[in-house]
Amino acid sequence: MSKEGILEKTAAPVHLEIPEEYELRDEISDLKKSDSELFTIIKESMNKIKPAYISTYPPTECGIATFTRDLLTSVQKYMPFSRPVVLAIKRAGEIEPYGRIVKRQVLRDDRQSFIDAAEYLNKSSVDVVSVQHEYGIYGGVEGEYVLDFLRALKKPAVATLHTVLSNPNPDQKRVLQELAELCKVVVVMVRTGRQILMDVYGIPSKKITVIHHGVPNVHRVSSSSVKRTLGIADRQAISTFGLISRGKGIEFAIEAMAKVVKKYPNALYLVLGETHPGVRAWEGESYRNFLLETVNRLGISNNIAFNNRFLSLSELVKYLCATDIYITPYLNKDQIVSGTLAYALGCGKAIISTPYLYAEEVLADGRGMLVDFKSPDAIADAILYLLDNPDKKQDMEDKAYKFGRRTAWFNVAIDYLDLFHRVAEAHKERAASVGRESNK
Amino acid sequence: MMEMDLRIDTRMVEGIPILHLSGEVDAYTCPFFREAMLDTIENGSPSMVINMDDVEYIDSSGLGTLVGGLKRASEKGGKIALVCNAPQVRKVFEITGLEKVFAMFETEEEAANNLASLAKENQA
Repeated sequence: MSKEGILEKTAAPVHLEIPEEYELRDEISDLKKSDSELFTIIKESMNKIKPAYISTYPPTECGIATFTRDLLTSVQKYMPFSRPVVLAIKRAGEIEPYGRIVKRQVLRDDRQSFIDAAEYLNKSSVDVVSVQHEYGIYGGVEGEYVLDFLRALKKPAVATLHTVLSNPNPDQKRVLQELAELCKVVVVMVRTGRQILMDVYGIPSKKITVIHHGVPNVHRVSSSSVKRTLGIADRQAISTFGLISRGKGIEFAIEAMAKVVKKYPNALYLVLGETHPGVRAWEGESYRNFLLETVNRLGISNNIAFNNRFLSLSELVKYLCATDIYITPYLNKDQIVSGTLAYALGCGKAIISTPYLYAEEVLADGRGMLVDFKSPDAIADAILYLLDNPDKKQDMEDKAYKFGRRTAWFNVAIDYLDLFHRVAEAHKERAASVGRESNK
Repeated sequence: MMEMDLRIDTRMVEGIPILHLSGEVDAYTCPFFREAMLDTIENGSPSMVINMDDVEYIDSSGLGTLVGGLKRASEKGGKIALVCNAPQVRKVFEITGLEKVFAMFETEEEAANNLASLAKENQA
């Protein structure tokens, strides 16, 4: 067996049967050939809006890129007569085989590239611009080139904030404040984010909207049936997934397993995902190697399995469906969103997490268990509590699933679409009113 | 599983079939929904009322299935009327603009009466 553990032997892609979606777009496309009268009625009746998205974008491996693709895809499913555009941010010298939807590449560390991108949009038929904001994906001091883009942009913009720091440095604060000023609306994914924006940054409440992080549309299946397909039918499966880096605190969950396996010797902790490409470039696999050393030191190599590669959505969903308990042992109290935690909720999992801001809010009201930061004992006690009390675990799963359904991408997309329409309409009305004034 | 996530109850009002949907209309349950609509049409009732008041969520597959049903109904000279007062579902029709494509009513009776009158006009 490789030192990476059990799953390395079965690392061939696995796919959950998420149903093939026959979309509105497909149905309307058929109509064009078979019933042109109905096709024309639908075409004339349906609302149209053309959004542009500025962000990192797949195949770039990063959480923001994945989020943007999922958001765009979900919104577009309701807009069969509109074509969105993507302006993809990348570093100079990187060659990314983007799809055709990427109409322009923006160089992260080139201020002029952002200004040019805005001018490109100004001349386009785009109605609204969705800015995905995370300090690190934009160049300049604390990502200030996003401000150059927004200052040059004449189209209305909506920013989704992926990081909201409660203790920003002066530059971080300045960038976020001006970004909010230049955008029509800023979106955060939890209510706590809204409060921080108001209290710390002085952003008015009316400018802030809360829209949850989207999750794949997954209907619940019993974990035992999926576990069989992974060859772990007799194991209590505990998992963490995502791009691996030191801030994830995975070593504390591994240490917790040493206590768990004394009572549940079949318990298996799955650490799914590759090392974050940015981290790998900086320090190689030293964090993963540290985790492996921890496993060996504790003598629990039969209870920990790593799968060190970027997992497709269907693979992730399959592993999540096989999971009995999901853990986010993250270390950053200020973390305002976690895609992986959102996904686990969407799959209706029993979740244990450290109390970072996002987890505190979404796991409230019995939807999960919060444990202290850096506390293997607390994690172990929570795992044992859930394994010892299947009824409590079931109750938690039911509550998580119910919450997760509301945040399925198809629902979140409607919230964004509603926002895009409102912002675009307000912009058009304002422009028309200015036009009327100048004609007087 | 599909049947558990979407329940469809059928009854007749004014000679018009009413399909009452409860649950979620999405990629998982749409084949079941499509089958129910097509069965109704094939059984000689090209017009029908679809009551979505107890639908929790609808996605674009659900909308596509409805458009497909409308097409099949039109081919047979029928219509589809919707009863859709659940705000979260109504919002989807409003935002997409599909509320202008489907005849929408407050109650089943209102919808059935409308379809029954249209059927009589067509016969006359």
